[in-house]
Formats: sequence, C-alpha cells, structure tokens
Amino acid sequence: MSLLSLLIFLPLAAGLLILVLPYAWQQRYKYVALAAVGIQVIMSAFIYLNFDGNAFSGIDAKSKYQLVEQVSWINLQLGRLGSLQIDYFLGIDGLSMPFLVLSSVVMFIAVLSSWEIKTNLKGYFALLMLLNTAIMGVFCALDFFLFYIFYELMLLPLYFLIGMWGGARREYAAIKFFLYTLFGSVFMLLVIIGLYFSVQDPITGNHTFNMLHMMNPDNYIPGSIFSALAEQQIFGIPARLLGFIVLFIAFAIKVPIVPLHTWLPDAHVEAPTPVSIILAGILLKIGGYGILRICMSIFPDAAIDSAWWLGLIGVVSIIYGALNALAQNDLKRMIAYSSVSHMGFVLLGIASITAEGISGAMLQMISHGFLSTMLFFLVGVIYNRVHSRYIHDFRGLALIMPKYTTFIMIAFFASLGLPGFSAFIAEAFSLIGAFTSESVNGLLPRWMAICGSIGILLSAAYLLWTLQRMFFGKTRLMGGEDWKSKLTDVNGREIFVLTSLTVFALLLGILPSLAFDKMNASVLELIRLVNLK
Amino acid sequence: MDVIITISLLAILVLYLGLFKAAKALLPVTLVGLLVALGLTFNHWDLANNTKSIFSGMLLFNNFSVAFSALAIISTFLILMLSKDYFERISANVAEYYTIILFALTGIIIIASYHNLSMLFIGIEIMSVSLYILTGIKKRDYASNEAALKYFLMGAFSTGFLLFGITLLYGASGSFDLTEIRNYVASSEEISPIFYAGILLSIIGLCFKAGAAPFHFWTPDVYEGAPTLITAFMSTVVKTAVFAAFLRLFYISLSSVTLQEFWVPVLVVLASLSLLIGNITAVYQQHFKRMLAYSSISHVGYLLFALIALSSASDSAVFLYAAAYTIASIIAFAALMVVQKQVGNDSFDNFNGLGRKNPLLALTLTISMLSLAGIPLTAGFIGKFMMFTGALSTYHTALTVFAVLNAIVGVFYYLRVVVAMYFKDAERNELAVPVYFKIVLVVSTLATIIIGVYPGFIADLI
Amino acid sequence: MEAQSTPVSYLPIIFQMIVALGFVVTTMIATHLLGPKRKTKDKLTPFESGIEVIGNARQPFSIKYFLVAILFVLFDIEVIFMYPWAVNFREMGMEGLIEMFIFMGTLLLGFIYIIKKKALDWE
Repeated sequence: MSLLSLLIFLPLAAGLLILVLPYAWQQRYKYVALAAVGIQVIMSAFIYLNFDGNAFSGIDAKSKYQLVEQVSWINLQLGRLGSLQIDYFLGIDGLSMPFLVLSSVVMFIAVLSSWEIKTNLKGYFALLMLLNTAIMGVFCALDFFLFYIFYELMLLPLYFLIGMWGGARREYAAIKFFLYTLFGSVFMLLVIIGLYFSVQDPITGNHTFNMLHMMNPDNYIPGSIFSALAEQQIFGIPARLLGFIVLFIAFAIKVPIVPLHTWLPDAHVEAPTPVSIILAGILLKIGGYGILRICMSIFPDAAIDSAWWLGLIGVVSIIYGALNALAQNDLKRMIAYSSVSHMGFVLLGIASITAEGISGAMLQMISHGFLSTMLFFLVGVIYNRVHSRYIHDFRGLALIMPKYTTFIMIAFFASLGLPGFSAFIAEAFSLIGAFTSESVNGLLPRWMAICGSIGILLSAAYLLWTLQRMFFGKTRLMGGEDWKSKLTDVNGREIFVLTSLTVFALLLGILPSLAFDKMNASVLELIRLVNLK
Repeated sequence: MDVIITISLLAILVLYLGLFKAAKALLPVTLVGLLVALGLTFNHWDLANNTKSIFSGMLLFNNFSVAFSALAIISTFLILMLSKDYFERISANVAEYYTIILFALTGIIIIASYHNLSMLFIGIEIMSVSLYILTGIKKRDYASNEAALKYFLMGAFSTGFLLFGITLLYGASGSFDLTEIRNYVASSEEISPIFYAGILLSIIGLCFKAGAAPFHFWTPDVYEGAPTLITAFMSTVVKTAVFAAFLRLFYISLSSVTLQEFWVPVLVVLASLSLLIGNITAVYQQHFKRMLAYSSISHVGYLLFALIALSSASDSAVFLYAAAYTIASIIAFAALMVVQKQVGNDSFDNFNGLGRKNPLLALTLTISMLSLAGIPLTAGFIGKFMMFTGALSTYHTALTVFAVLNAIVGVFYYLRVVVAMYFKDAERNELAVPVYFKIVLVVSTLATIIIGVYPGFIADLI
Repeated sequence: MEAQSTPVSYLPIIFQMIVALGFVVTTMIATHLLGPKRKTKDKLTPFESGIEVIGNARQPFSIKYFLVAILFVLFDIEVIFMYPWAVNFREMGMEGLIEMFIFMGTLLLGFIYIIKKKALDWE
C-alpha cells in the first residue's frame, strides 16, 4: 500500500474505529479524528517536501506522475462491448499535490472547529472521516471512473452533515445542494461513458477509463463519438464541444459560477462551521481542479473554443458575487458570496490559458482555501458564543474582543488582496494572465481583466464596510449585557488555528515560490497540451 | 431437472408438515430446503457454458438460468426469513402459504430456464396463479380482496395476450422451440406479418406481468393491497423472473437485425413511459409502500434498457440490475414491515426520528434507498451504469439523457424517507427489530455494498 | 379467368355481406314494427316447466357445493392423462409405468390432503 492509498483510507479506518467505539467514549471521538487528520497533515507535508516539481510534471504521461499506483479493480466481460476495465489508478503531479496539502490542513482545522458539535458525535465524526476519504481520493484519482466514484462519494456525507447538524432550513439546503451537484455529475457520467467508448488503451486495445489515455488524441478510435477527427454531432452540437460543456457545468456547479451558484449561500448558511469550512476550503477547489485536470486536458480544442465564454463567466462571477456580498447582512452569507467572487478569479485565470493565468488560478484556489477557512472559522467563533451572525446585531466588537478583531482584520485584509498575503499574488497573476492573453493567444479581451480588477475594489468595499460596521465604534450589541458576557475573546485552540492559517497566508504571500516551484512544470505541460490540440 | 423437482417436493413436504401440526418446523424446513435447492442450482454451473437442453428441448439450464434461479432462490430465502410470525397473524393456514410461495418459485425457475414457449407459458401460469391466491390471503381485508381480484382479472387478461402472441409466433414459424424460431427468422426470405403481431403481443403480455407502463395500472393497487411480504416477493423475484423470460426470448429468438428494427422502437416508447410515469407519480406519494410500488415501475423502465441495447452483455446487465434492485427492495420492505407492524401506518411521517432511535434500521434503509437511487458504491449504481453504458453503446443518447433526468427525480423521492428518518425529530419509541429481520437487513446491506464496490464476483456468474 | 385478383374482384363478396347483414337487420326491424305486442303477466315470468317460480334464483348457496364441484373437476380431468398412457401402454413399457405411478402418487398426496383438511366432510 503506497502513501497515497494510506492518505485516502486512513480517515476511513478512523471513521470505522469511531463507529465501533462505545458510546461512553463520546468525548474521545474527536481525538481519534484529530489524530487521523494530524497524521494526514504530516503525510501530506512529507509528500510536499519529497515532491520534485520539475521531474513530475504529470498531466498526460504516467511516467511523470509521482507515487503512481495502478491495480485492476473492476473487470467485467461485456461481450460485444469488450471488457469493462476499471483501474484503481492513483498518482500526483503539480496540479494535484498542492491540494493534498491544502485538504489535509483544512480538514485538520475543520476537526478542530468541530469542538462545537454537541449532538450525535459518532455519526458526525464518522461522516466527516468518510468525506475526508472522498476528498483525498478525488485529488489522487487518475482513472475517470474512480474519480467519479470519489466525486459522488463526497456528496453523501456532506448531505447528511448539512441536513443533520445544520441550521433552521437545513433540510432545504441539503437537498438543494445534493440535487444541484447530482444534476451536474450524472451528466458527467454520460460523458464518461461516451469517452470510454471512444478511447482505447494503446497497449491492450480495450476501452479504458484511464484519464491519461483520454488526453492523447491518438488513442481515440477513428469515427467514435468523441474522436476529434470524426466531428460527430449530438443534437446538432459538435460532440466534443458538448462533452466539454457537460463536464464544465458539472464542475462549475462546484466552483460555483454565477447562474449555478444559488446552492452555495444556502448550504453555507445552514451548514455548521466545520462543514462550511470544508465546503469553502476544499469543495469549491474540486471544481477548479476538475476543470484543469479534466475539461482542459481531455477537451483542449473545445476549451480553446470556449475560452471567451469561460472568461466572461469568470468576470460575471467576480462582479456579481462581490455586489451580492455588499448587500448581505448575514456575515456568513456575505463570506459565501465573497467566495463566489474570489472563485471567479480562478475561472478567469484558467480561461486565459497562459502560464501566469493558470498559476494564478492555482494559487488563488490554495490561498482562498486557507483564507475562507479562516473567515468561516471566525464567523463560527461569534456564532458559537451568541448564536447570531447578523452584521447589524454587533457594533464595536473591537473593544471587547481585541484579539478576535486582530485576526478578523488580518483575514479581511488578506482576502481583499493586500500585498504580502497570498491572495494578492494569486489575484495579480490571474489578472496578468487575463491581460496578456490578448497578445499571447488572443483568447480573452483586455476588458475582462479590467472588469476583474473592479472586483478587487468591490471586495475591499464590502470587507472594509463590514469591518467598520461590526468592529469599530462604541460597543452596542443586540443581546445587551448578556451577549457582552458571552462574547469572550478567542481561546487557545482558536488562536492556534487562526495563527497557523495566518502563517500559511503570509508564507504564500511572501514566498509564492513555495507553491509555484512545485506546480510550474505541470502548468507549462498543461498549456503545451492544450495548445497542441 | 433436480432444482425444480426439489422445490416442488419441498412444497408438498411443507404442506404435509402443516397437516400434521408441525407448525414450528415449517419455516426451518422451508429454509433448509431452499438452501439445498440453491446448492443444486450451483451444481449446474458450467464454466464452459455449453449446456445441452433437457426434456426433449423443453428446458435449457445454462449459466443464465443458474444465475437467475440462484437470485430467485436467495431472494425468496431472505423474504421468507421475514415471514416469522407473519402469516400466523393472518390465519392458521400457514403451511399453505409457504407451499404456494414455493410453487410460485417453481414457476419462476421454469421461466428462468425455458427453451420452449409452451414452458414459458406454463411457468408464468404456475407463478401467476400462486400469486393471485397470495395477494388475497387477508380474507377479511377489503384492500387485499380488491387487489387479488384486480390482479387476477388483469393477470388472466395479460396471459391471454401472451398466449395469443405465442400462438402467432408458432403459426408463423411452425415451432415453439426458441432455436427453431431463430432458424425460421434467419432462413425465411420474408417474415410473415403474423410473426410481427406475435412479437407485439408477447411484448404486451410480458410487460403486463413486469408492470411496465402503460400496462402498469394494476401495480399500485395490487402492491398496496397485498400483504407486505407478498408485495416484496412480487416486486422483486417475480419482476426478475419476467425479465429473465423477456431476455431469453428476445436474445435467443428475436435478435436479428431486421426484427430489432421492429421491436426496439416499441420498447423505447415503453421504457420512456415507464420511467416518466413511475418517477413522476412516485414523487407525489405520501406513503412509503405506494412510493415503492410506483418506483418499481420506473425500475422496469431501466431494465428495459438492456433489451433495447440487446447484446451478449445484456444478460449480465439485467442480472446485476435485478440483483441490486431485489436486494435493496428487500431491505426496504423489511423496514416497511417493521414500521407497519408497530406503528400501523406507513406514511413518511411515521419514519420521523427513526435515525436516532433505530440506528441500524435507519442506516440499512438509507443504504437501500441510495442503492435504488443509484448512488455510487452501492449495487444500484453499477446496475444503472451498465444500463446506461449499453444504451449509449447503441447510440440511444436521447433516451439515456431522459433516463438520467429521471434518475435525478428518483433521488429526490428516495431521499424523502431518509430526510424523515434523520432530519426530522419526533417523539417516538424505539421499534423492536426481530433478530431474523436484523440478519436480513445486515446481509442485504453488505451485499449491496460489496456488489457496489466489487461487482466482478457476481457479474461473472453468467 | 385472370390469374391476378384486384380489389375490384372482391366486390361481389362485399355485396353478399351487405345483403346478408341487411336482410337480418331489415327482418328484425320489420317484425318489431309489424308484429302485435300483447304483454301479459304470465308472459313475463320465467318459464320453469310450467311450475310457478318460488323466490329469487340468485340465492347464496353453501360453498361446499362449489368445493365439491371443483374437486370433482380436478380429479376428473386427471383421468384424461391416463387415456394416452393406456393406449400406448406397451410402447412406454416399464418406464411409463413408473412415471404413471409417480403421477398417481402425487394425485394421491393431493387426495390425502383433501381428506385430512376435511374438505369432503359435509358437516
């Protein structure tokens, strides 16, 4: 069993352990979970340190993946259809490795913030660990079927986590989230099957789900549905374009892009803090990762054709998300919309198909992973104390919670792209990518980059305005003296979490090469592949 | 054919056990007998799959038959385990109920192994007549009576269609034998029009039995009116058997390209209608049992996909799907029986708060619902995946997209009971789950997950 | 006579059918219109060998009659299977005899069941 399998199934084992532990030990479940994710953090750090960004550029060559693991998993003889060959195929390259680190850290923090969960701890931690397994699996899987399984497996625990431990309208939020994501993913399944019929393993001649084979145009059977040469049409739309659109929509629902984002505010608001953290910190990134790893690599021609639209969707998400955030009076909802806005940069960067843009998008995802985790954690801190998140319920918090205010200022300033923090570098790179795209490959017009920068201004507006409304001025609280006594400043556990996240954000802001070095080769390889078409 | 003989003799044995007042021995004897029959079934499994037909070409017990017979026997076994203390509440004639179920099973095994259309008819009749009786065993219950009468009238009617279809096939080809019919199709220059009429009538007859729309109208009332245990039997084992019959007839005799051009469009329409009607009406149900009845119509729609994309892979596709559906349904019906017995009513509200009080029951029911909805890592997903793969390989893209949309609708109503169990709180007492039920629930759940994670081991059976 | 038949050559058949149907319909209508109608009480009572009817014909009767009738039909029908065997008795030989005994044994089992269930007891 290799390191990656261990990384994936360790939490599952921990979850099963929690299930069999007696109820009397309820208070110790969280330590089991914490130990599991702690080991994961150490393992992912080890993977990070041992990862050679230049040698393992990955993308479409198996030899360029690190820690590869390939075992035959499902092997059914289907007569005329050939044999259904599904591999348990794992590996990491520069695109996926950073997310392993991010996921394990965010998971660690999510477990730490689960101290607030009081009911049905057994179910809660077991589901959390199952979710953890699925997330790690998604980032490691290189077989499309395996990827799909992990991708769907994420849905269930999240559905229950939101539905059982969520807020007042949790039922609605949970089913909305579930159906939205499922809608995207079942159509993805059809494309997967279509690809399966189109692609042949060059060695065995069987149809295959191997993503790496799908990236190579030579492996497509002539005349098959997704073959670039055959130019097949489905419902009057070129098949490859349709395949790209379906996959893109599936991932875009996760990102989320603007017309498909309505599940996100509901899910975030109703979810308990740890789940919000996971949703914002990891789940949204799976959308971006999927677009890079799957949409762009398997359908490069369609990606170039629709780059303009991707850019447009990115810009609309940036502006629309920011404007919405400005109008919210629920702090958590505001942060949820700010996520929509920030993820817009990811899409814009990806759409540019330049080295700067894609690196920026990658860094933006990682940086947003840490920062949104921090923001949701901070919201959780006050919600836990007084069970309110309304911005106008609070005023002058700085006087009674000075340390808390310091952290929230750090988080806000980092999010709005203050130089020195990771978001600055990330957004700058995405915008540079979008800006240079016109001269490099002529995909995105310059005005998109300019509109994107307006988004930064807007984010400064809503964050600073919130800061002013909630934290400055004379202390006035909705709940009066009662609240005042409850609103104690952050405790040791919370300081630990917040400090470590601040350190991550600062480190990536000051030394972005920590991330860039590891993924640069992969990004270049991806661009080469896309331009090859 | 030792399996058929064993089960028939078992039925008579059980009948006599009842006669001599050995009520305690009924269930154990039946279960042991079924295990013996299961062993004998596997004895026929042949790696090379070159089995000869027996009884002058009447039956052909090949791997296909082994797989479907084994599935039917195992499902019956699981369902009968739920019957402890069940029939006693209805009347004193417990032995007769077991006997009739075993007779129905005999019919089903004949259906799974026929090689001659007259045997198909006899098998279907043995099965159906037993079911008419079983539906009406609650003599004093008005709904049960209505269901039995409805089922009998509709069933007799549909058997008429099937018989007429078989006659026409015979009239055109001059034989009841499946291979002979295939030879007729292959050798004749122009296929007689009555042959086409025969195909159409057999489709109608079989679709009646399977409950495919638009021949489904008896299903909801019959499923609701019949005793839950019998409903479980009807909606799982019987459906599977009918599909085995369907597949055998079409794969062996009617699979030539010219004929496919004729019947594939018919089945496409039937499949789409079943999906649409089954799913849309299931959404509006307030009762769990009725919801299962309607959803079973939609599952027939998915099963028809295998026929639409007829190939040598169809049998393992149908088998996987049917196995997944059967096992998941057994869990659902077991849970339903527990709730019905102790609460008295099966509306969704009565499942509220079950997640807290009966974690095992709730967990297994959840997994069964997920399997029926086709969520990955459950058997149901593999089944649906095979169906969609088949349909896409024959370029039925529009139909597949339609099915996928229906699958999403399906998720919505299957999750309703999950929502009720976990997300809604209610003051309720813990339900007592008998040990037999627990065994069935756990075994079926494990099977669902094992097939979902590693489908190879049962798909290779065929 | 020409070898090929056209739709026109079926015309006589259609005429034949029209005439046949027409005759029936016409005579029925004609008798209905022409015939004298005298309704008396006796004419409207069901005719039962000249004896006056007592009570309603649709009365519930004991299920036992039905049971016995069904059982009679069942066993009566089984005899049908013995005829072909009797005719081919020599050809089928020992094997046929054994098979027939198995068949009869099964029947006997059913018969014992019926007796044990007291289906033939009248009280």
